[in-house]
Amino acid sequence: MGPDRQFTTKETHSEDGVDLTLIRWMLSLTPAERLDLLQGFVDSVLEIRARNREA
Amino acid sequence: MLEGVPVNTFDLDVVHSREPGNIDRLLVALESLDATYRMSPELKPAASHLACSGHQLLITRWGPLDILGSIGRSRRYHDLLPHASEVEVGHGLRVQVLNLETLIAVKEEVAGEKDLAVLPTMRRTLEEQRRRR
Repeated sequence: MGPDRQFTTKETHSEDGVDLTLIRWMLSLTPAERLDLLQGFVDSVLEIRARNREA
Repeated sequence: MLEGVPVNTFDLDVVHSREPGNIDRLLVALESLDATYRMSPELKPAASHLACSGHQLLITRWGPLDILGSIGRSRRYHDLLPHASEVEVGHGLRVQVLNLETLIAVKEEVAGEKDLAVLPTMRRTLEEQRRRR
């Protein structure tokens, strides 16, 4: 199918294996929220690293 | 990521205006970020570097930063501006972000291994964006 194909709401993955649920979830966020999400990942890693140091 | 593609990269890509006044401002900003070349940390970017169409692959105290004179098939700042829109990224900061359609076209022009790997996810995100309009 061409690039303009439509998804049905039930599809979870495209024919080429892309997770459509992840895309829909990302598009439900504002750009600032997407950046906050990324910052959250970074903060989590830093926190885990700090706790490992304490242990 | 700002356009909603669920893919992260580790650097920030900026296509800059190569007008002399902007290069001067950019140099001041890069100095404040302690920017040096990733492959030659002793070397700082100069005005002559920023005036060319090449890619300045820098490291700053906040992480990797690519300053790009042009992307794809010689697309410069002023060529790309009509295909960008202003996006609020938090704390009142607004930046020009290239639309997904053009970003896909640029990736297709470059067709590097890293670009090809991410293209299916970008194309599906664009389809979903269009479906929502």
